[in-house]
Amino acid sequence: MSRTARLLLAATALVAFSGPSFADDKIPVGNLVDFTGRTAVVGKEYGQAKVDAAAYINRQGGVNGKKIDLFTVDYSYEVPRAIAAYKKWKSQNDVVAVQGWGTGDTEAMIQFVAKDEIPYFSASYSAHLTDPKGMGPETKKPAPYNFFYGPSYSDGVRALIQWAAEDWKSKGGSGAPKYVHMGDNHPYPNAPKKAGEEYAKEIGMEVVPSIQYSLAPGDFKAQCLSLKESGANYAFLANTSGSNISLLKSCDTVGVDVQFMANIWGYDENVMKAAGTSADGVVWVMGAAKWGDDVPGMDLVKEVSKMSDPNLKKYRAVHYLRGVCSMYFMKEAMEWADDNGGITGPNIKKAMYQRGDWVPEGLEGVCLPATWSDADHRGVMDVFVYRGMAKGGEGDIPDLIGSGAIGMENIFTAKIPRKPEWLGW
Amino acid sequence: MATMSLRPCGDYRATYRTDTTIFPTPMSRNFCIAGVVLLCVAPLFLSNYYLNLLIQIGYLGIAALGLNILVGFTGQISLGHSAFFGFGAFASAYISNQGIPVFFAIPLAGLATTAVGMIFGIPSARIKGLYLAIATLASQFILEDFFNRAEWFSGGSAGALAESFSIFGFVFDSDERFFYVVLVYLVIMYIAAANLMRSRDGRALVAVRDHYLSAEIMGINLTKYRILSFGISSFYAGVGGALFAHYLGFVSVEGFSILLSIQFLAMVIIGGLGSIMGSLMGTAFMVLLPEVMEGLVAGLSNFEWASGLGAGLAFLKQMAIGLAIILFLIFEPDGLAHRWRLIKAYWKLYPFSY
Repeated sequence: MSRTARLLLAATALVAFSGPSFADDKIPVGNLVDFTGRTAVVGKEYGQAKVDAAAYINRQGGVNGKKIDLFTVDYSYEVPRAIAAYKKWKSQNDVVAVQGWGTGDTEAMIQFVAKDEIPYFSASYSAHLTDPKGMGPETKKPAPYNFFYGPSYSDGVRALIQWAAEDWKSKGGSGAPKYVHMGDNHPYPNAPKKAGEEYAKEIGMEVVPSIQYSLAPGDFKAQCLSLKESGANYAFLANTSGSNISLLKSCDTVGVDVQFMANIWGYDENVMKAAGTSADGVVWVMGAAKWGDDVPGMDLVKEVSKMSDPNLKKYRAVHYLRGVCSMYFMKEAMEWADDNGGITGPNIKKAMYQRGDWVPEGLEGVCLPATWSDADHRGVMDVFVYRGMAKGGEGDIPDLIGSGAIGMENIFTAKIPRKPEWLGW
Repeated sequence: MATMSLRPCGDYRATYRTDTTIFPTPMSRNFCIAGVVLLCVAPLFLSNYYLNLLIQIGYLGIAALGLNILVGFTGQISLGHSAFFGFGAFASAYISNQGIPVFFAIPLAGLATTAVGMIFGIPSARIKGLYLAIATLASQFILEDFFNRAEWFSGGSAGALAESFSIFGFVFDSDERFFYVVLVYLVIMYIAAANLMRSRDGRALVAVRDHYLSAEIMGINLTKYRILSFGISSFYAGVGGALFAHYLGFVSVEGFSILLSIQFLAMVIIGGLGSIMGSLMGTAFMVLLPEVMEGLVAGLSNFEWASGLGAGLAFLKQMAIGLAIILFLIFEPDGLAHRWRLIKAYWKLYPFSY
């Protein structure tokens, strides 16, 4: 390219980007991701999904012709940085919605987004975000502008405990099985702690004191020894998968004989690969289809994935698909808002209540049907419990799946009732 | 100090009083006042992005000055400064959530942090140097754990909300408005520190640093002044932290890790140990360096040969920051304050510098 041509191009670009008329066709959306922090192992999958999905939506014409303008910030899972990013989006970019990430930051911003009327689609499924009007008996603060796609952490752990109770019976265990909550002292692992322990007690399990292990991967043999001594039968792992890899390996070394149950972010194909046989038999919560499933919506997911991987070489872990779902729910809500008074925060919020058993168009079979109402933001109540199988072996995830070295199966499905007393915790 | 600054001809100092003014010359005073006036009108011209950086420099600069009083002027060491910064933030949020206006909560939080700082400063009565560094490291861990567990005080791991600063119903909730709050605090705190250093207590602190044995022989109570230094340093950290809390609107334990303590140390070392203005320069350097690197890296990504680096660019930025700091320490070991003096001398002596 000649120098003049380059200058000309630069000048056109400058004119194009500075023109105010251009801004009207864009929908500014904040996008908080963790690519470098403690939850980066799952954060990269989910964050990439959001970026890819937005790029694909824009390529297909955007939201009724308006492009999503995604402002992506990697905040390293540090709450103050997330809040700083949010303030910047609000004051400089006039974002109409935010695609968020962690529990600590999302819960910290509940009141900010409510005051600013900015719908906040988090990747935190903390049940504290489900009560928009503060009607639940345990609700600390109402969260009118918080939405998330997926079963809440609390409902997830309730489903796991239901499974555990049946499992205990089918194995012929005598007496009450012992349940233990394991996780860091951090908003995310703490979110389902109370729900899990109370529900375990309610259905007749014995609850032993919780064990703390850090969200950052490390050597967890001490925690595994405590777990062994506690005599627990079912251990709920509330951390994300990076930390759980270390824990499963440490506990294998120590020789712990416990049925591990992991949170929705706590287990995936990467854990099966990295932890090998130590990760065998872990059960966990799933919130969408898995990569390569034979469902109608998988074609769209593959098209989305092509945005960052044109040759479809990459295997996408389970979290990627939930990221795509989250972005598409937001997109369809924006479409409704656009047809009903314009894309503003309050209209997007209203749009979220318009449909029951809602599945975004083109993602049938990938995203679970979700229903939000103005008094109940528990979108998904069906909880799928999967069991992972890991026989060890070297290679990439697709090869390992192909050879049968790793795999997963749906072993239990719980329909959690929408109990009003469970709203908000 | 007096020998370091170059005075114009005929400016004789006949009394001790004129020898210990805060500003060495009327010119430097006028420049300082002009600088503050200039900052007062800055929100009219600067975008939120620059204001945000200036506010950061403001509250971190106050805390860094506290550390400079402890490290640069008294010769002690602290690896727990960010914990005191955090204590001020949580204390101010806690106090204001009890119904006390933020206006009063900030100084009260400073006082509370002073008390905590003096308790953690007690080991300095007996130990020095690296041993003291490790003892202050304990304060970092103890306080961090306290923030994580004391739900009544800090909201535990979930953090605490902090109200916006307001006076008579006028709320300072935007960058333009909060900028003035920070500016007022910055000016007051820096003048107070400059004033402290020409007082009897300030000279005692310097004496403790220069030769503790001589200081003791001259009748300076070492224990008192060491612990006092921790107290003053913590007061500054607490006020800086409180401003941070009410600026962000939310306090969470994650912001106050040991990394920030190290950054505070870097600020005072880069700015210049034992220099009031150096603290502010060092803070500005540490706040602006990542932003400048961000810009450079973003510029780099426009080149075709650099596009292959992809995500590596983010790490390049981190490495460049590290490199800049190392180069700085090699070529500018006395800090920015020293360089600033040299620049001033250059202009004054031009063209006959020798």
